[in-house]
Amino acid sequence: MTQFVVKPGVKNLHHEGEKLITTHCCYCGMQCGMHIRVNEKSGKVVGVEPRYDWPVTMGKMCPKGVTAYQTVDHEERIKKPLIKKNGEFVESSWEEALDLIEKNYKRIQSEHGKDALSVFGGVSMTNEKCYLVGKYARVALGTRYVDYNGRFCMSSAAGGFMKTLGIDRGSTLPWPELEHTDCFFMAGSNTAECHPTTIQWLWKARDKGAKMIVADPRETPTARIADVHLDLKSGTDSALANGMMHLLVKEGYVDEKYVDERCNNYEQLKESVKIFTPEYTSELTGVSVEKLVKAARIFGQSPRSVVMFARGVEQQMKGVDNVSLYTSMALLRGQIGKFASGVATFTGQGNGQGGREHGQKADALPGYRKIDNPEHVKYVSSVWGIEPEEMPKAGVSAYEMFDKIQRGNIRAMHVICSNPAVSAPNNNYIWDSFNKLDFMVVSDFFLSETCEFADVVLPTTTWAEDEGTTTNLEGRVIRIRKVREPVGESKTDWEIMQLIAERMGKGKYFPYKNVPEIYEEFRLASKGGKADYYGITYDRIEKEDGVFWPCPSEDHPGTPTMFQDSFGTEDGRANLAAVGWQQPGEVTSAEYPITLTTGRVVFHYLSGTQTRRTPFLMEQCPEPFAEMHPEMASRYALKDGDYVYLETRRGNMEVKAKITKAIRKDHIFVPYHWGKELSVNKLTSPALDPTSRMPEFKVAAVKIKKA
Amino acid sequence: MNKVMYLEFERCIGCRACQAACRECGGHDAKERNYVEYVNFFENRQTYPMMCMQCKDPACAKVCPANAIQITEEGVVLSAMEDKCIGCRNCTFGCPFGIPKFDFEENKMYKCDMCYDRTKHDISPMCASVCPSDAIRFIDHDEMMDLRRRRTQMNLIEGKKPSENDKWEYVPEFFGVYSD
Ligand code: SF4
Ligand code: SF4
Ligand code: SF4
Repeated sequence: MTQFVVKPGVKNLHHEGEKLITTHCCYCGMQCGMHIRVNEKSGKVVGVEPRYDWPVTMGKMCPKGVTAYQTVDHEERIKKPLIKKNGEFVESSWEEALDLIEKNYKRIQSEHGKDALSVFGGVSMTNEKCYLVGKYARVALGTRYVDYNGRFCMSSAAGGFMKTLGIDRGSTLPWPELEHTDCFFMAGSNTAECHPTTIQWLWKARDKGAKMIVADPRETPTARIADVHLDLKSGTDSALANGMMHLLVKEGYVDEKYVDERCNNYEQLKESVKIFTPEYTSELTGVSVEKLVKAARIFGQSPRSVVMFARGVEQQMKGVDNVSLYTSMALLRGQIGKFASGVATFTGQGNGQGGREHGQKADALPGYRKIDNPEHVKYVSSVWGIEPEEMPKAGVSAYEMFDKIQRGNIRAMHVICSNPAVSAPNNNYIWDSFNKLDFMVVSDFFLSETCEFADVVLPTTTWAEDEGTTTNLEGRVIRIRKVREPVGESKTDWEIMQLIAERMGKGKYFPYKNVPEIYEEFRLASKGGKADYYGITYDRIEKEDGVFWPCPSEDHPGTPTMFQDSFGTEDGRANLAAVGWQQPGEVTSAEYPITLTTGRVVFHYLSGTQTRRTPFLMEQCPEPFAEMHPEMASRYALKDGDYVYLETRRGNMEVKAKITKAIRKDHIFVPYHWGKELSVNKLTSPALDPTSRMPEFKVAAVKIKKA
Repeated sequence: MNKVMYLEFERCIGCRACQAACRECGGHDAKERNYVEYVNFFENRQTYPMMCMQCKDPACAKVCPANAIQITEEGVVLSAMEDKCIGCRNCTFGCPFGIPKFDFEENKMYKCDMCYDRTKHDISPMCASVCPSDAIRFIDHDEMMDLRRRRTQMNLIEGKKPSENDKWEYVPEFFGVYSD
């Protein structure tokens, strides 16, 4: 296996005494290509070098990517297992930690049944590890309760794509084609801050005249450069999409032939969009009629368009509906399955795509199989070497696991690669639930806010100390290379799951000596499923700059463009969405008159466990803030930098006001990367989408006053 | 050096990857030499990067009484030589762009050297390498001239104000910086 991958003629700077190892960023779904600089003598990670020839990102990185390597040899790494004794963490040996876990897991299961244990996973891990989390929960622990932080991230996109297209692949087209697109319709995505390296493709297209329409309550750096900024109210995406489709139908922009040949439900859709006149849409969304019409015309007249969205539309009680409706916009224009056009969601976590496909979800099994399908259970059981009857039933979604804790059904939890103490909505409830647990284990490499609730903390490696594959936001499977040996006594997540499995008497199901062995089993487990990785090998990834799933055999070229001939539904036709208007779970009132919405800043990633420990990033953005319009600030006599008190029905906080005209006058924005008293998720709403069980992070009613 | 730095201010998305990357350059001592500023955050989020223009007859070097600021044969204006710099900070006042920075602890000046360790091998500087928005580029002179003409064409076809946001009011659209 080559460590340094570079194309002929591409120059990189090689420092003396150092080697370059080719890998990808550990943070978002862009998975930007990079080379890590390693000191040959000490084996330590010392820096980063752009990977100019990675076809998706061309050497470009955001500040998180540039500084990602700094988390590896970081002074705050947890280097030994920690056991809480008298409220304090004490370093221990692996033996002692595993003894304690075994004793408690066995005691709890014998007293309360198998399902009293639970696993809370994450998708900032390789496919190999994500795959193993589901197997670990179901085979090693024998519990039905496993779910993961993708519920707070990608589950609505997954639900919407399944409904309309029959397969959930984040993007129906490969990213380099974006250069040839004529129009981008982007909803609820602050691409410039959350997936910055995409912007280069948008500019390439715009240099040729492409148009950009951005729907966002804030004039983000992405909206600022748009041709039309649809400044909608948070939580009104379904109205906006319906309004757009009303105009597409009315003005004759529908590709009737495509819809006729490839889509169901057109008549129902036409019926349901009828009432969404520009006037009515404007009333619901707060966007002017003029802008709506302008956007629909630009979008409707563009020969090649891509509809793109992200958490802004997905983290809502109607997330699945929003995704289905926006996807239908692309379908009406006949765009899906063609060159430089289609639909895409911006995957938030590094492996948010791969990690959601292979059985970390409460109701899913590898290869996007379903646990309520006996055939699927039979196949996966055969790969795992268990009897189908031994396969636990479906569990519940991430947030609902905390309900189960409150009710005493779940007594112990193993959190792997996640920090729900910061990232779950309604924090106070989450913290209270952690306190109610009998026993809690967390695997992490920094002492996160979640770790603090644990009885045992197991030190894991960072992404740079292990190898494997991830699947980027396009659906391209790529290679993560091992850059250095594990720091201190840390172990990889897969070794930890393996060790606990052995303690639970299930070691024979986890016989792996190295990562490629897990990958081989995983390929097989995905074989024949919707997300089929069987034909993808490490070798091919290296030679072909990654391989797109589905790829059922080694001689299959992979699938950069999805749905060219038919969709993944039973009848091969796409299902257009006919969905009416529904209010968000919480609306403003006289008592809570302002809409609170949350999101990211470019300098931080998710719960901030890593980026808050990176000096450059903390210098740029050390604390959360409440962004508001000067008109609102004036009403509450706030000056820039004043402390403001925010309160919703669930919690409150104090943060500094940051004043700009680049936000709606009736909205406040607070980024969510901080914990404890600085966590805006104390205030956010847990109203769940009925299908995806995604909480409504994006809309809450809040009242404010000067602190 | 056959390439030029090419800036398109309007493209800057304020991510500051260029600053993070500047710290990564060999010999930069983890201190960035470039700037990214908001034009006026109250109004909108337009930002712009600023780095050394590698002036032909640089003011910083001219006002240096110790002759500490060297210019390479390619025309790159380097940081003051440590053994010559007397810490008078004339350069920080002399530069019309405010580029040279002064390290009070170490008592020395440091500035953007166009990543000379990279650019002398025709490898792109760190900021231009990573800038995700192509606001900073390191390209052939011909490509730059071509880009400038093409941008003007686009403006003629599309009109000066393609967007409802009055982004054009805030910053000049682009300019090229020559290194030779
Ligand atoms: S965080 Fe995302 S955009 Fe930034 S460097 Fe990493 S993968 Fe690229
Ligand atoms: S990297 Fe590029 S887009 Fe980001 S702040 Fe610097 S110049 Fe602007
Ligand atoms: S050219 Fe090099 S030294 Fe100058 S600002 Fe860019 S990264 Fe820094």
